[in-house]
Amino acid sequence: MSRLVVKNLSKVFSIGFLARRNVEAVKNISFEVKEKEIISLVGESGSGKSTTAKMLLRLIHPTSGKIVFEGKDIWNDIKTNQELKEFRRSLHAVFQDPFASFNPFYPVERTMWQAFRLMDKEYSKNEALELIKDSLVKVGLDPKDILGKYPHQISGGQKQRIMIARCWLLKPKFIIADEPTSMIDASSRGGIIKLLLKLREEQGTSIMFITHDLGLAYYVSDRILVMKEGRIVEDGNPDDVVLNPQHEYTKILVGSIPKLYRKLEDI
Amino acid sequence: MSESLVKIENIRAYYKLKNREVKAVDNVSFEIMENEIIGVVGESGCGKSTLSNVLLNNIIKPLTIVGGRVLFKSNGEYVEISSLTREEVRERFWGKEMSLIPQSAMNALMPTIKLSKYVEHLAQSHGIPKNELLKKARKRFEDVDLDPQWLNRYPFELSGGMRQRAVIAIATLLNPQLLIADEPTSALDVVNQKVFLKILLEMKRQGIVKSIIFVTHDIATIRQIADRMLVMYAGKIMEISPVDKIVEKPLNPYTEGLLNSVLTPEPEIKKRGITTIPGTPPNLIEPPSGCRFHPRCPKAMSVCKEKEPKLVEIEPQRKVACFLYSEERA
Amino acid sequence: MFKNMFKPLFKSKKFIIGLSIVLFFILLGIFGPMIYRVDPTEMTWDMEQAPSSTHPLGTDTYGRDILAQLLYGIRSSLYVGFLAALISLVIGTIVGTFSAVRRGITDDLLMSFTNIVLTTPSILIAILIASYLDVRSIEMIAVILGLFQWPWFARAIRAQLMSVLSREYVYLSKMAGYGDFRLIVEDLIPTIATYAFMSFVLFINGGIMGEASLSLIGLGPTEGISLGTILQWSVMMDAIRRGLWWWFVPPGIAIVAVTASLLIISTAMDEVFNPILREE
Repeated sequence: MSRLVVKNLSKVFSIGFLARRNVEAVKNISFEVKEKEIISLVGESGSGKSTTAKMLLRLIHPTSGKIVFEGKDIWNDIKTNQELKEFRRSLHAVFQDPFASFNPFYPVERTMWQAFRLMDKEYSKNEALELIKDSLVKVGLDPKDILGKYPHQISGGQKQRIMIARCWLLKPKFIIADEPTSMIDASSRGGIIKLLLKLREEQGTSIMFITHDLGLAYYVSDRILVMKEGRIVEDGNPDDVVLNPQHEYTKILVGSIPKLYRKLEDI
Repeated sequence: MSESLVKIENIRAYYKLKNREVKAVDNVSFEIMENEIIGVVGESGCGKSTLSNVLLNNIIKPLTIVGGRVLFKSNGEYVEISSLTREEVRERFWGKEMSLIPQSAMNALMPTIKLSKYVEHLAQSHGIPKNELLKKARKRFEDVDLDPQWLNRYPFELSGGMRQRAVIAIATLLNPQLLIADEPTSALDVVNQKVFLKILLEMKRQGIVKSIIFVTHDIATIRQIADRMLVMYAGKIMEISPVDKIVEKPLNPYTEGLLNSVLTPEPEIKKRGITTIPGTPPNLIEPPSGCRFHPRCPKAMSVCKEKEPKLVEIEPQRKVACFLYSEERA
Repeated sequence: MFKNMFKPLFKSKKFIIGLSIVLFFILLGIFGPMIYRVDPTEMTWDMEQAPSSTHPLGTDTYGRDILAQLLYGIRSSLYVGFLAALISLVIGTIVGTFSAVRRGITDDLLMSFTNIVLTTPSILIAILIASYLDVRSIEMIAVILGLFQWPWFARAIRAQLMSVLSREYVYLSKMAGYGDFRLIVEDLIPTIATYAFMSFVLFINGGIMGEASLSLIGLGPTEGISLGTILQWSVMMDAIRRGLWWWFVPPGIAIVAVTASLLIISTAMDEVFNPILREE
């Protein structure tokens, strides 16, 4: 069964005052994501991939098209607060910039306390704190190093792990990971990816990576969608997309990426 | 056998703050040979950008050279540029003997100063007739696939990729011997990255520049263009070797960790998997004792904590700083 | 949370000095008239007297006690400053927030209006309004001044909010089910609070200076006494040429001291809150 069905999704931004201009950020895209599937939406900046992510997260309204999550249209079938809460709990995100993901005025665990607002069960303060500590341990952090700290006191990799710990608390069915590794050092990147993969293994979570990094997409995903100028130009399993690209743009993209084990022929 | 163009000897460059010092480059020695591209790789905060400032003698407080020297071969003689002032080096060497391509062209170019002004300024400061150099600039712009018309435009009118090409065209106008490229591609998308790398290699093929030092965090890029790779960690050199050999068999465990964290779209990567180096890079105010990598090193031994490994040649052309390969390991 | 935000301020010497001076004048304005119980408008036969034991700061042409006037003047000048600042802050916050949150046409219209007010020479309009009114209370002056100080503040608030609203922690709060109100209270207000506080200090400054300028050209409050009106009378009576220093020096010092220390406070806040200026 498909967990997420996106059908003919479009987003047009209109900008300007007197001379109003329309910018089509996303043009009529459709795809499906199955249970436990990892899918990557690959594109350069301005390709519309982040806009797509925000629409899926119900943060901005699509201009047209449908997003159906677990059988419900997320813009039309979610009416009560209870339904919205359940949706927010089931579909969650990890964002690109660990520095912008934390409000500098609060200790970092605030983002985890927030998660309890989405849960059905009421927890006492102590129970909640225990759960927070457990999930920090799960993502390889020592609660002692984290609790009570402010965002500028911990590293980017640690911040990104806290965001994943928030997902451990919520146990969402679907995670949208918007460039989760682009702003942290190479040596901690693998850890973040592994944590997300572990989440998928243990909880059957579907994950959608939004990234410009075809190397990451190739490594982690079951399926790759390549986006350019608001359209999905290629859709297939990673080996096909990378080793045997069909669309002209994908060919250029794959041909431009520096490789480790082979030299680019034409430079 | 080519000679060395630059010799860096036991350089220590610290940021001297009020009551502490950040040891950004700590006792580093290596040579840049003539006709080679050397890639410097490391994570953020390892001292690689400080290193390019040391090469340029672009020493601005609080950065201070605490010890060591930099020798630059100019007209067949080695000049100790680290003993000159920043202004002297700027006058005599910048643009003519060595040039910098920074990470973002916007850092190098004022958005509201016409590109041709930079050329005129360059001509003026080296006593070359303006028109001659402008003519050369037009030609050079064509070489990097830019319409010479763009010379009369302002930097903000150019796209990121075009701007970076304009910078390389202007930076190499006087055919400097050494080109220092500090993360020149990290602000570009992959398609423009490749175009830029092509231009860089073409400049070297044509002999416009002799040697290039390419500083980046991206090993795959170095793999594509460089002859030798220098791996830095916490202000120290961990390994210098020909690129092919490093990729084939990294010696230092840190190099190995870095290589294993690279994700490129290649089947080998999928087979190999991805690993993480545990922990975070140390702060450079009080770096760990002994080998600076030992707290994170999977192969650390007791000696690593106590003594600092020297950078020694263990195979022809391969130098590594690690007790795994030295006699002292017992 | 706010405690954490403002704590570093008290490590700044500048801030403490500025704050002490301002607090001193505020206390003087509040308690001074209660302790020194002399009617500032009562005319006596001691005209243009130099300071003495009966009149510590002397008297003016009509024999009114200068110290009493000064204490009342400080009180009403600060009152004008605070009131004008409050009005500017409220208008600016509302306009800026609406622009940033609503975007689209609302934003376009509100910003056009803001720009019009911004480019209008405000002191001229204030003069026009003030001269049109025959009776001007202190509150009226505050309103006139408050109506023209807000545009740059509104624009800054709008810009700050726009940048905060696209920051990821705001999305994360939204995704945790925060409603608009909670989002504003927890995420948006702290971000603009430091800036608003700093602007408030500058607005007070603007209010005090504005009142003094209007008064000096005879368009100040027609009722009550302010530092500006004291200065205006002394100028009218040619006090400077005639060397009646006790008449114009004290209110002059009071205005300079208050406005200068307000500026010091805002500079200190800028240094503490703005990491680029932080000395380190």
